[in-house]
Amino acid sequence: MNKRTLSIFVLIIIFAVNEVSALGITPGSFNFDFEPGAAKSIKFSVINSEKKDANFVVLTQGELKDNIYSVSLPEGIFKMTSADGEKNLEYVLKMPASLSPGPHKSEIVVMQLPGQWKGEGETSVEATVGVAAQVNVFVPYPGKYLEASLNAADSEEGGIVFVIPVVSRGKLDIVRVKAIIDIYNLNEKVDTIESEEISILSGERKEIVVKWKSDFLPGTYKAAATILYDEETLKLEKEFNIGDKILDLVDVKVNDFSLGGIAKFELLIESKWSELIKDAYLQMLVYNKEGEVMADFKSATYDVKSLEKTLMVAFWDTDGVREGVYDSSVILNYDRKSAQKDFKLDVSENEIKVIGLGYVISEAGGKKTNSLVVILVVVIAILVLINLSWFLFLRRKLHGNKKVVK
Amino acid sequence: MNKKYILIIDAILILGSLSAVFVFVNYAQPLVIAPIDNYESSNNTVLFEFSKAELILIDENIEFTSPREIYVEDNLVVNFKPGIYYWKVVGALESDIRQLTINSEIDLQLKETNEGYSVVNSGNTPLRVELYENGAYTGEIILDVDESSGVEGDKFVGREDE
Repeated sequence: MNKRTLSIFVLIIIFAVNEVSALGITPGSFNFDFEPGAAKSIKFSVINSEKKDANFVVLTQGELKDNIYSVSLPEGIFKMTSADGEKNLEYVLKMPASLSPGPHKSEIVVMQLPGQWKGEGETSVEATVGVAAQVNVFVPYPGKYLEASLNAADSEEGGIVFVIPVVSRGKLDIVRVKAIIDIYNLNEKVDTIESEEISILSGERKEIVVKWKSDFLPGTYKAAATILYDEETLKLEKEFNIGDKILDLVDVKVNDFSLGGIAKFELLIESKWSELIKDAYLQMLVYNKEGEVMADFKSATYDVKSLEKTLMVAFWDTDGVREGVYDSSVILNYDRKSAQKDFKLDVSENEIKVIGLGYVISEAGGKKTNSLVVILVVVIAILVLINLSWFLFLRRKLHGNKKVVK
Repeated sequence: MNKKYILIIDAILILGSLSAVFVFVNYAQPLVIAPIDNYESSNNTVLFEFSKAELILIDENIEFTSPREIYVEDNLVVNFKPGIYYWKVVGALESDIRQLTINSEIDLQLKETNEGYSVVNSGNTPLRVELYENGAYTGEIILDVDESSGVEGDKFVGREDE
């Protein structure tokens, strides 16, 4: 047996041993609004992810387990072969005559049976895997009841957009819903914004959207929203960031250098974040002409103050280094992030020059003008002009001339 | 000028203008090919095929109060999390609103490792995996999409993490 065949054989064995089982189900959840006595169809697919011969059992569990049944699979056991990618099953949920208000959760669980299934009561020591599709029935609360969550995201026009999805979970419609959002930075309230008022029918889902044109400093902020709906209130909170936690390499200098000695790199780092960034450090790499790393050195750790510049120092032992131009990278590490800047070092007998540490500022592409819209507008404008000219001037003039002739 | 000619010019102008507007409106109406309305899949990636439009608006809300805006000239593949979405394309005119549903897919893999077992979330939604040993519940773990974790036990049941 040659080496290649042996490797393939070993790989096959590894895969065969490592993969025990895999199972899928889709959709993973079904949501129904309560209708007393109604029968709801639940169609789902069991996915034989590994395309193996296997036996499966389907169980129901949860509050409504006795109300969920299969017509086609009364025993809840089925088999799939390696040729079967998936099996489509249909269950029925027969809703009871009454249920208490709120959510009611049940599940349809599909378990892969270990080994060959021979009948109930058989035990096995093998590990097995199962997947569950959730069946949720929601009964409206009496009166008015609102469910909401608060999301904050960067707005495309700048600033922050707060999106509050709201669902009316009560039996009664809600006439007035609005959000008042207080914004805090370091526990100090910096702004308050209010949404427009909307109304929501029972069972309806809508979104409250509030845009905040923030001109505040980058940093972490907290939004505390009070949702006022008719006579009730709901409180929500969300932390969000303005800008990114960014440290920027501004300048690199090497003073008092002589080749073969220790080069002291002074790197000026600017924080664009409004809070202290702790334990930041930089790593500097110098590459030889073959692109291999010939020097790898780090600075100590620094606490970089908000919106200030900090000088970081790193040392490079240039013993054995020859004069020349070397590619180099500085990697700034902070707060589980890293940012890299590449430049060149021109090393001579008494000097290291840093080449190419600058910025390319590209013009941001704006939205394109819709040429079709322009053509349409022009054509319609010409048509309007022709019509106006005809009906207001030319037609009257010709009509007038005719009268004069008469 | 003869009244008859004036009326003919009136008619030509009115009919011509209406025809021109009709032709241009039809021409400008975005042509939406895919996905079809009420498209449903457990595949997270959806190919949008259309022409005469350059902006796709996608929202979980039919009123498009906080839409995701994607500028694109040609067809585009968009990644979705499971959920129900409404979308339309905008050119000179807006297309009709279509709905698409991305079903969650629960897919749990169980692998044998030197330390025991490892479970992998191969589906498209975060999973809550219950662990059992000899029929007794021993705990649960949350797995993000494509995340794996070493586990102990002999039965593992995955479900959507709400």
